[in-house]
Amino acid sequence: MAAMRARQKIRAPRQRTGVTEQEAFEDAWSMISTSLTEIHTKNSSTISFENLYRKAYAVILGGRAEELAARVRNHEETWVSGSLKKTVTDSISKFLLLAHDQSAHELKDQSTERQAAGEKFLNALKTTWEDHHLCMCMITDVLLYMVRNLGDPSAYFPGSGADRNILTFLRQDRITAIDRRKPTIYAVAMAAFRDKVLGADLHTENEEVKTTVMEVFKSTVLFMIRLEREGQLIERNLIKHCITMLENLYQSTTEEEGSKLYLTDFEPAFLQASQDFYTAEGERLLETGDAVFFCRAVSQRIWEEQERARTTLSKLTEPKILGLIDDVLIRQNIDQLVQLRGAGVKHMIDNAQIEGLQIIYTLNTRVDKKKTALCKALTERIVELGREINTSSILGSTSKPDDDTQKKNEKTKEKPANQQTALAVKWVNDTLALKRQFDTIWKDAFFSDLIIEVAIMGSFADFINMNSRSSEYLSLFFDDNLKKGNKAKTDIEIDALLEHGIVLLRFVKSKDLFETYYKRHLARRLLMKRSASVDMERNMISKMKVEVGNQFTQRIEAMFKDITISEDLTRGYREYIVNTGGADANRIDLEMTVLTNTIWPLGESKLSGAEDDAGYRNCVYPREIESLKQSYEKFYLDKHSGRKLTWLATLGTADIRANFKRSSGKVQRYELNVSTYALVILLLFNDLEDGESLTYQDIENRTRIPKNDLIRNLQSLAVAPKTRILRKEPMTKDVKPTDKFFFNNEFQSQFVKVRIGVVSGGANKAENTEQRQETDQKMSEERFGTIDSAIVRIMKQRRQLSHNQLISEVLAQLSARFVPDVDMIKKRIESLMDREYLERLPGAIYAYLA
Amino acid sequence: MDSSKDSTFVSLVSCDGFEYILPYETACVSGTIRRMLDPTSNFAESRSGRCVLEEIDGVVLEQVCKYLVYNYRAKNMTNVPDMDVPAELCLELVMAADYLDV
Repeated sequence: MAAMRARQKIRAPRQRTGVTEQEAFEDAWSMISTSLTEIHTKNSSTISFENLYRKAYAVILGGRAEELAARVRNHEETWVSGSLKKTVTDSISKFLLLAHDQSAHELKDQSTERQAAGEKFLNALKTTWEDHHLCMCMITDVLLYMVRNLGDPSAYFPGSGADRNILTFLRQDRITAIDRRKPTIYAVAMAAFRDKVLGADLHTENEEVKTTVMEVFKSTVLFMIRLEREGQLIERNLIKHCITMLENLYQSTTEEEGSKLYLTDFEPAFLQASQDFYTAEGERLLETGDAVFFCRAVSQRIWEEQERARTTLSKLTEPKILGLIDDVLIRQNIDQLVQLRGAGVKHMIDNAQIEGLQIIYTLNTRVDKKKTALCKALTERIVELGREINTSSILGSTSKPDDDTQKKNEKTKEKPANQQTALAVKWVNDTLALKRQFDTIWKDAFFSDLIIEVAIMGSFADFINMNSRSSEYLSLFFDDNLKKGNKAKTDIEIDALLEHGIVLLRFVKSKDLFETYYKRHLARRLLMKRSASVDMERNMISKMKVEVGNQFTQRIEAMFKDITISEDLTRGYREYIVNTGGADANRIDLEMTVLTNTIWPLGESKLSGAEDDAGYRNCVYPREIESLKQSYEKFYLDKHSGRKLTWLATLGTADIRANFKRSSGKVQRYELNVSTYALVILLLFNDLEDGESLTYQDIENRTRIPKNDLIRNLQSLAVAPKTRILRKEPMTKDVKPTDKFFFNNEFQSQFVKVRIGVVSGGANKAENTEQRQETDQKMSEERFGTIDSAIVRIMKQRRQLSHNQLISEVLAQLSARFVPDVDMIKKRIESLMDREYLERLPGAIYAYLA
Repeated sequence: MDSSKDSTFVSLVSCDGFEYILPYETACVSGTIRRMLDPTSNFAESRSGRCVLEEIDGVVLEQVCKYLVYNYRAKNMTNVPDMDVPAELCLELVMAADYLDV
């Protein structure tokens, strides 16, 4: 094939001959220059593109591209500085020139004229520019061949490059001495426009003030924008066109992106003007003192500027102007805004102004991803509200001791305790309400923002833990909802309440303290059979398990197990009695609850003093009870040898039938439900004749019931008006050792069954100061143990650890239960070193010894 | 080609008088012709819809037109077979291509 082709003759390109080159060039140039003028004067339809193109082509092939280009440049520059400049400068009216010197204030009244003049000027500028631009495009088109060979072609005509590569070698030997760095005709013409038209000096009457078209232009556009900001309508399109012009002009002939006249010259001026404007506006808006109003205005401004940047100015400006607004209007004012008295975030929260909060949130998010200001305000408000709740509950509790000391009356003594329980429940309810309020706000106004959530949660935890009794209150709240007699609420309601309570539990740091209280209250509920339903209790426990963990509920579950086992035992015991043939009618029916010592919080009576400790074990039971007790002990120890049963009379109750001989001779029978101690006391009176009495001393000696319990039981039997089974002499409210007690045959009640509660023994109530101290003490002892074991666990695993690491690990391990303070941990470490679990190595490092 | 404004066809005329009629879009494959016919510039050619190309003779212009059509059709395709060009015309075609900016 190659051989075949070689034989074919390739036609040579036609050779140009005839006229000398110089003549041809001059000829062509005169034709080109007239054509250019024609183009400028919009008479292009008369000239043939092809003709012009061919002339230029010929010239360039003749090797005179440089010269042609130079001439064209000259031609253009003359044209621009002559005709175009004149059109533009003519259009600038006196108004604009004057306006440039004056301050904005004086201009207010002239604004209409100025606007009109400005529009005229801008219109002229725009037309001139567009014409110029179009002409230059046409000229570039016509002289394309020249342009292509002079500049870097791909910069102007991207995309058609591939097949041109073949040609470059052709050109290279024909078109020599091409300076590719020379600016293109287009760029030169543009630069001419920039310098000659925009840079043209304007002489005002006042010779000293010199200004340029560019300056006038800038001030005019800024003035227009200002007008728009103040709410007037302006010719957006016009401005947009002028801005496009600036965007197409470059500061330097190399035409880098960054040297656009718009960016170098106009934009800074615009941003400066905007900044001034918005600083003033920000101050003005702040003075109005309404955060919602402020935020609405700012949102509106942001929207406007966005719109302006898109329609009137350049897209490049959008982020800048928005950043400016963020900075000037929001960042500088947000703190003040949030704190505004009577109208700030606080106010909005209190009045649930979701919309206002929403706007503030959006604005704050713009400037600060962390929303510091807003979070701070929220936190402050929550803690403030929380503190109110705390103080209201503490106020109630401090008022109590006064009552206590003033009146020893049993009624008033009971009341503060009840009041406090109510306070505790109220505290929880208030907290829950607050939580709900903020949850709504968070969801509606802050779009469920995570950071805000963390802040809210944190501040809740803060104020809840600020109240040292929060665990107790929370437990009381659960108790209140779980115990019987809460008929007003349905199961579903209670369930929801418990759910909320659990949420609060999450905030409580001393979970172990809560556990203690909860166990104590649960024990009461279970033993006194006060629990509303076992299902509910179990439900509650499973909730806690989910929330706090398995370990936490273990012991509570064990309590339930004990109850179940005890029920089985009681059943077993009954069978046992029947089988041993002791089933006579007068037998006392016994229901026992066997509790595991370590799990149940039964220490109350133990803790109340050593002397009582001895006493309550040795309480002398009447014959009937004693035999019953022994029989059960025998039954139980048969089943489980090696265990020891301790009888806790404080927690027991008894149903007895009592006969009251009226003075009329009738016998009235009542069924009394009393505590075990009360039973013991009442049985003493069985042996007495009518009218005989027992002194307090007698009763104490014969029953050996602990003093506290005895007094309380006697109070409920002899002093409480509705359950006065005994008569006391003298009829005072407190019990003295010399008091005499009579069986009250005149006892009246409208019910056959009478329940006699033990004073302040029956229901779960808030603790008084003394009890709390005990609990705290017990708690810290328990914590010592927990810390010890945590330290040992960690050290056993790590063998060696530095002091700080150890402390932080301990804190991490224990944080689920409570937050120990560092001092306490230090003490425990010391103590462990004393006991030779640990040793101190040089450099604050501990080592485990085992 | 009588009407210019809504002309969907344009005619290309060679220096020796051959006239080729092509769809507007096809002719515009050539950058030079596209500019020539650009309505915004409003040159004589764009008014008449007729381009007299004094630099190019009929034989070459025929090949040029073939190429314009070929290029236009194959615009959005890949794996297009090469176009056959008579070897004896290749130099002149290269020059015409340079001139017409294709």
